[in-house]
Amino acid sequence: MIHLARKDIEHTLGKFIVTAMGVGMLLGIVLIMMGVYRGMMVDAEVLLDDISADLWIVQEDTLGPFAEASRVHEDLKNIIFSINGIDKSEAITFQNIQLPGKEKAIRVVAVGYDVYGTINPISPKRLIKGRSLKTDHYEIVVTDKTGFQLHEEIKIGRNLYKVVGITHGTVSSGGDSLAYISLKDAQELQFLYSNKRIENDRNRGLTAVNSLMVNSIIATVKPGYNVDEIAQDIRKWQHKSVYTANEQKTILTKNLIEKASKQIGLFTAILVAVSTIIIALIIYTMTLEKMKEISIMKLMGLPNSLIIKMIVEETLVLGLFAFIFGNLFSHLIYEKFPKRVVLEMPDAMMLFGIVIIASVFASFIGVKKVITADPAAAIGG
Amino acid sequence: MNKEIAIKVENLSKHFGKDENLVRVIENASFEINKGELIALIAPSGAGKTTLLMMIGCVEEPSAGNIWLGDKKVYENKWITKDTRRIRREKIGFIFQAHYLIPFLNVIDNVTLLPQSNGVSEEDAQAKAMELLEYFDIADKAKAMSSQLSGGQNQRVAIARALANNPEIILADEPTAALDGERSVSVIKMLKQIALEQNVAIIAVTHDERILPYCDKIMKIENKAIVFEESNKETLI
Repeated sequence: MIHLARKDIEHTLGKFIVTAMGVGMLLGIVLIMMGVYRGMMVDAEVLLDDISADLWIVQEDTLGPFAEASRVHEDLKNIIFSINGIDKSEAITFQNIQLPGKEKAIRVVAVGYDVYGTINPISPKRLIKGRSLKTDHYEIVVTDKTGFQLHEEIKIGRNLYKVVGITHGTVSSGGDSLAYISLKDAQELQFLYSNKRIENDRNRGLTAVNSLMVNSIIATVKPGYNVDEIAQDIRKWQHKSVYTANEQKTILTKNLIEKASKQIGLFTAILVAVSTIIIALIIYTMTLEKMKEISIMKLMGLPNSLIIKMIVEETLVLGLFAFIFGNLFSHLIYEKFPKRVVLEMPDAMMLFGIVIIASVFASFIGVKKVITADPAAAIGG
Repeated sequence: MNKEIAIKVENLSKHFGKDENLVRVIENASFEINKGELIALIAPSGAGKTTLLMMIGCVEEPSAGNIWLGDKKVYENKWITKDTRRIRREKIGFIFQAHYLIPFLNVIDNVTLLPQSNGVSEEDAQAKAMELLEYFDIADKAKAMSSQLSGGQNQRVAIARALANNPEIILADEPTAALDGERSVSVIKMLKQIALEQNVAIIAVTHDERILPYCDKIMKIENKAIVFEESNKETLI
């Protein structure tokens, strides 16, 4: 039997491909949006995974450094370390700073950690050049995305920091690049006021500020000990908020990026709906262009099923081509996005399913036109 | 020789609208058309030519009456079979004002489309199509698209398509309207030849008086009734 859809597509191949490319670009954007969401999820977990802490001890009644301001004393790490079952315990700080870039300031999240401590937040697998921090002062490790080179000097505050290491793929939960500095430098930057400010405070009768504060204490638990029980003990006796790694992940993925992900989800849904409408309109237009031929075929006595098959198959092929072009398009451009875009096969497969279902729905409008086409329209001018 | 009846119509009526808006187009028409006959259907515009053609073609439902196509009764105050499209597919061929070939199909696909949808195998349909194309002297254009053919060639392909399903009846809607005088005569001669050789009844709606002498009879719609006249063979060109 003659394959009408194939013949029609072959007849207008150029137009069909250009149309599929247009819809494909739209689907490519849908894939990118999904990728942005996946990227946010991955970004949110990069720092947590690199630090690999079992417990995050933060200021009481706060959600911790990623969600709320948190200040605890640095020496809390010693108290935590003394708790039965704790393996390692270190202090850590997080702060947003602007690094002076060549063209414009570069916003980074600076992680301050004890260079001589037992937990190094810089994952060796992410360190692509140089080394981790070795001294207490004026060394910095930056992400390659910042554009800084090894041994380059960066002015932060009143001091020059030397780039001693370059990492790749290190980002904060918000997608900003990460920089690593020593805990002492971080405390100075975050908690130590300028001389003028200290003088001013003294004149007001305020005593000097204790700069030995950190944003969180991180700890690992010895094998065989129950993380939740230790967390509960710390909450009870140290009057601090304590989060396990999973709870911290939940705070990051649910509390912090939930709204953003909902927004992206909604945007994606709208794009899918728009794509469906566009496919439907294209099929409707393609059907309208063939109304004379459809009337003739109906008048000649061709069964509706044969004509409907042609419309549905053309819609499905359009959807398939658009999906392939969309995939190619998204893979060509995703690296150009400033934030991480993670294109995953399950997302692509899900979109493929949606496109096929949407195409079938979109073809209904053409099918309806076929069913209602008047064969008598073939007679006369 | 006993003539086989191709179309028999009894008390056929077609009305549009209701009550004060009722329009009677055809009223109690009865006639028979034999196989092998070429009938010209003429009437002023709006008299009901197309409506009559559509009723015989099982497209437009009559208001009352009986219709037989060949020995099969297809209408008795309602369609006897719901699948009127099947009747068209199996018994009727259509020729239009313009060729109206399916533009995305080549010549041979246009001719084989209907037989294949009737369940004829691709090989058999193609063999029959090639016979017809050879008959019309356009076999060398079998793989061409209609856009690559001249108007006359396209019209011949359209006639070949109308014959592809071995119809008993061909309904032609102004088949010469788009052609000049010489080509019109050529097409009507061809239809006459087909009617005789293929033993098909052909009703051709026309406004073209030049082709009337080539027809066996002239069917007119006058005052909602069907009347037949013999054609004037003396004016043959």
